[in-house]
Amino acid sequence: MMATGSASEAAPNRLRSSMLGARLSEAAWGYGFAFVPFAVFGLFFIYPFVYAVYISFFHWGILGKQPGASGTYNYSKVLHDPVFHIALKNIAEYALAVVPLEMGLGLSLALLVNGKIRGRSFFRSGFYFPSIASSVAITVIILYLFAPHGPFNTFFGFSTDWFGNASTVGWSIVGLNAWTTSGTVMIFYLAALQSIPEDVYEASALDGAGAWRTFRKITFPLLKPAHFFCLVVFGIGALKLFDQSYIVSNGTGGPNYATTTPILYIYRQAFANYDFGVAAAAGVVFLGIILVLTVAQWFTLGRQEAG
Amino acid sequence: MLQTVAAAEPSIPGRPRSQLVRRALFYGLVTILALVFFVPFIYTISTSFKTIPDSVNVSLIPHPWTTAAWSDVWRRYDFALYFKNSFFLCAVIVSCNIFLGALGGYAFARLHFPGRDLLFLIVLATIMVPDQLRLIPIYVMLVNWHLIGNFSGYILINLVTATNLFFMRQYFLTIPKDFEEAAKLDGAGHFKTFWRVMLPLALPAIGALTILQFQGTWNDFYWPVVLFQGQAHLYTIQLGLANLRFTYSTLWPEIAAGSIIAILPILVLFLALQRFFVSGAVTAGVKG
Repeated sequence: MMATGSASEAAPNRLRSSMLGARLSEAAWGYGFAFVPFAVFGLFFIYPFVYAVYISFFHWGILGKQPGASGTYNYSKVLHDPVFHIALKNIAEYALAVVPLEMGLGLSLALLVNGKIRGRSFFRSGFYFPSIASSVAITVIILYLFAPHGPFNTFFGFSTDWFGNASTVGWSIVGLNAWTTSGTVMIFYLAALQSIPEDVYEASALDGAGAWRTFRKITFPLLKPAHFFCLVVFGIGALKLFDQSYIVSNGTGGPNYATTTPILYIYRQAFANYDFGVAAAAGVVFLGIILVLTVAQWFTLGRQEAG
Repeated sequence: MLQTVAAAEPSIPGRPRSQLVRRALFYGLVTILALVFFVPFIYTISTSFKTIPDSVNVSLIPHPWTTAAWSDVWRRYDFALYFKNSFFLCAVIVSCNIFLGALGGYAFARLHFPGRDLLFLIVLATIMVPDQLRLIPIYVMLVNWHLIGNFSGYILINLVTATNLFFMRQYFLTIPKDFEEAAKLDGAGHFKTFWRVMLPLALPAIGALTILQFQGTWNDFYWPVVLFQGQAHLYTIQLGLANLRFTYSTLWPEIAAGSIIAILPILVLFLALQRFFVSGAVTAGVKG
């Protein structure tokens, strides 16, 4: 009796100490596993974030930091630079034009390929492919098709330099990106459309509603979460325009600053003017703008979903 | 959707014909749209087999037919090297992202250690740091560390992304704990359990990560421009193509051939795995 008693008392003790050892070793392995990924994030994401803010307060050229803090000089330079104002105006106009276009086109494509049509997966893939192909190749191809003496102009009898004129290049990039991005928008809308239950449509058919009325009164309102999701994702995405404006203008942002976007402005401040301080300050300002817009969008989004 | 509506309507005389018209209109519209999406690519293929004077003609049939642009772009304009560079970077970066993403993802999904949730929040927060803000500090850091002028800097900043780590963690969370407990009973340590048991079970997630990361690295233009511009031996296929177009803006057949080379690996991947791409597992690869 006594012996069994002491044995059963000792066992939990031994178990507890071995469990503590196991827990310690698990924690050690946990830190070990997470160490390298965490070092990468710390060194190449978190530290640069802080470092960017630091650089923005100094005169910083190609040779590095110049002696003495510059205070808010870089910020006032960015905020008073007419080119930065043009870049902000360009990107605002671009986003306001391209987001409704790609969402409208994407929704139309989704509605077209959502039914049980023949060759459905072929059409879906075809509409989606420009979204995943390289933006450089697509831009270069379109530059060829829409060159002053290119096939498009020859075929339709135009002579406009679509991507070379300050007055047309903005709209040309809007058209190009509305085309390539609509495939991604289509995928999001397809997923949303498939989550709408069939019986909603059956009920509307019994009420004798036609296709257009069904879309306007039922499908479109039910897609509300998808509308807001796309607005946020593609709205923020549009603000980061870089590849197309770089390739169209050979990195200059011309003609006449017509393709200068905030990102290209940052790039040029660093690698054409070698003014890293101003470039960093512009990066901080631009991130601030994006953050404010994101928070504002989430705010409206949250309210819309609650209501 | 259109089908359901039509099917539920009562059949009335004369219906079939109007339905036929509607159907013809519908397919006409889809075909026109598909043409808008395909014509640029078809045109590019045709142009790549043309001569320069012929490249401004609207005709889709090359006259005369030549493969000169292809051999030109591959040899004379160094696309063989750019293609090799891009593949090398993709192979290294995809492998690192798989290994480190899985390693970190497993730690955050399954191992218990103090401060885990806080660290995980910090990892998620790094997703919010945009590349545009990292541009200047990372360039300055890489210059200071003498990592400009070769591939190591580009590889370092792309070793693992928070998105990939998060993606692997979410997948590990769905695997039943029984597997690990069985491995533990067999006396396997934490690394062996991860390497021999959990990693093979996560193959579907690794496959998805491979495709998305390959696509991202292959198509990347922003960082190659920043880190490699002006150093031709480091050009990736995208940077090489952009520079070919800057330098020889009217060499259309070569530019067309180069574009196809830049798209081809993604096209092959896409054709092989269409269902994966279109199924909505693409959220991680959203382009602006």
